[in-house]
Amino acid sequence: MNAMINVARYHLVQPALFVTLPLAMLAFVFAVNAARGGDTWRDGLAVIFLYFFIMGVQRAGGRWLPFGLALGATRRSFYAGTALLGVSMSFLYGLVIAGLQAIERATGGWGLSTTFFRVPYLLNGPWYATFLTSFAGLSALFVYGMWYGIVNRRWGMLGLLAFVAVQVPAGIAVAFARTWSGVGGPHPSLSALDLTGVIAALTVVILAGGHATIRRATV
Amino acid sequence: MPEMAGLDEGGPLFAQVAERLAGEIAAGGLAEGERVPSANELAAFYRINPATAAKGINVLADEGLLEKRRGIGMFVAAGARATLLARRRAEFTERYVRPLLTEAIRLGIDPGELVALVMESSGERGGVAV
Amino acid sequence: MTPAISVTGLTRRYHGEVALDDVSLTVGAGTITGLLGRNGAGKTTLLRILAGQEFPSSGSVRVFGAAPAENEGVLRRLVLVREDQAYPDFKVCHALRAASFCYPNWDAGLASSLLKDYGVRAGKAIKGLSRGQRSALGITIGLAARAEVTLLDEPYAGLDAVARQVFYDRLLADFAAFPRTVLLSTHLIDEAAALFENVVVIDRGRVALDAAADGLRGMATTVSGPVLAVDSFTAGRPVWERRGLGSQASVVMVGQVSGEDRERARSLGLDLTPLSLQQLVVRASGQPAGAGSLTERTRA
Repeated sequence: MNAMINVARYHLVQPALFVTLPLAMLAFVFAVNAARGGDTWRDGLAVIFLYFFIMGVQRAGGRWLPFGLALGATRRSFYAGTALLGVSMSFLYGLVIAGLQAIERATGGWGLSTTFFRVPYLLNGPWYATFLTSFAGLSALFVYGMWYGIVNRRWGMLGLLAFVAVQVPAGIAVAFARTWSGVGGPHPSLSALDLTGVIAALTVVILAGGHATIRRATV
Repeated sequence: MPEMAGLDEGGPLFAQVAERLAGEIAAGGLAEGERVPSANELAAFYRINPATAAKGINVLADEGLLEKRRGIGMFVAAGARATLLARRRAEFTERYVRPLLTEAIRLGIDPGELVALVMESSGERGGVAV
Repeated sequence: MTPAISVTGLTRRYHGEVALDDVSLTVGAGTITGLLGRNGAGKTTLLRILAGQEFPSSGSVRVFGAAPAENEGVLRRLVLVREDQAYPDFKVCHALRAASFCYPNWDAGLASSLLKDYGVRAGKAIKGLSRGQRSALGITIGLAARAEVTLLDEPYAGLDAVARQVFYDRLLADFAAFPRTVLLSTHLIDEAAALFENVVVIDRGRVALDAAADGLRGMATTVSGPVLAVDSFTAGRPVWERRGLGSQASVVMVGQVSGEDRERARSLGLDLTPLSLQQLVVRASGQPAGAGSLTERTRA
């Protein structure tokens, strides 16, 4: 437990990268959208989700890993500590998004009748649903990014290509299921909360996969 | 190689450390009852491993030339200088006289000539200080 | 007493190449051991396996009596300074802060004093450091960690002779004040020779020599001078090498040289020069695997 916490502290020696930077990015995208005008700005939120994915890749597979191992972390505790940090940040940002969404609604779209913190179907319900979906989504993307970073570290470019290739059939199956549902939009029989549950389950699978991959990684 | 203050690769370092300490005691540089540098101090001075320095000190301690006072350090034992000088006088013949003779013979200087050379030199020096 | 490090039959293969071949050795607690050998001999692989950064193909590795791989209890008490250490994109002070959480004996005062000796500013970004400054950072972390087992893999890349001497001096001083087990890999043997209590020579993945340093010193001497005198002096003594030019000869003779030997050499007009530790190691590295002569004489 202590080892995991040391890993989290290690990642946080520059807290700005986890705290200030994502908020700054959000603010920047928000400002850009405000300048541009229009009434639905949902693509803006994608930025933060993408950032969490990238953070996962960097923190697990970048140079944080070799130095972490050099400082005496085991691969197990490095993985767990990094994932723990990512999930905790996802929790916090889930709250931030839900909070900002609430403010947005209360101010009638920031006094401009616009919506930034709203994504139809996914982030459109009560605050707790928004929080849970964001939390799950950010966590999933972070640990998914971690897995990519670790695959690259262990097997290089070829490994990455194989990793992506293996996921392609699954991706096609999902797309096929959506079109077959006839709508091409949200799955008709899955509520947003149900989808959140699916994402959480996927996260667990990804965590197991990433852990299995890091166990014999060398730096 | 960093200057190990005169130690060389000719033989075990611990033996050389012991030899130098003994030399200091024989020459009077370290008086009886005086504290001998610690292993760490010697190691820092010679830039060698402290365990090696400690071994050198122990060689002298085993010969009774140094005594340990618990908690304080190693001290030159009573009679150490006398013992060393006696030993060195005995070695003097082996180490200095015989090689001198050998070299003299090589150069064709007979013993009589050699003695004359020694007297001449000691005259020049105005006696020998110890 | 259990040795700090104990390796038995360690073999490491990759892609059909054998990096380490049936290596066995022990390192006693509180000693400084030199891990010597040519580049590519396998020293780095051995150190990385000891630090749990790589895995053995077969054999056993024990540090403090347990396998180091994925073992927190061991890794917390061990530090490896690598020549090619990768650091995240942050500053020197961040690296030191991270190290301070991970090493229970971390001494921040020693760390800042070492950085000052090397002229490295804590606020500087690591990616902007010169090669020598990066080495200085590695040395700083390695020494200030005061880890019970300190593994140093040629930690002085880019450091000039003066800076290297600062490293040896600081290592010795801190070792004297806070004893620990040190394994220092180097190919600059003569510089560091006086630090070692023991030396292990790795050659082409195998242990070529494993002996007390003092036991090796003086074990072979170059005898040079007139051919006849050299031959007379070395008659009946084991010899490793013989070279001649005209009426002069130079022979590497094995065995400690006594006072009488010296006198005799002088009388014959011969010059005696002991082989340095570096020369002995080079010799050990040249032997076919398992060759007897050097190893036999060195059981201390």
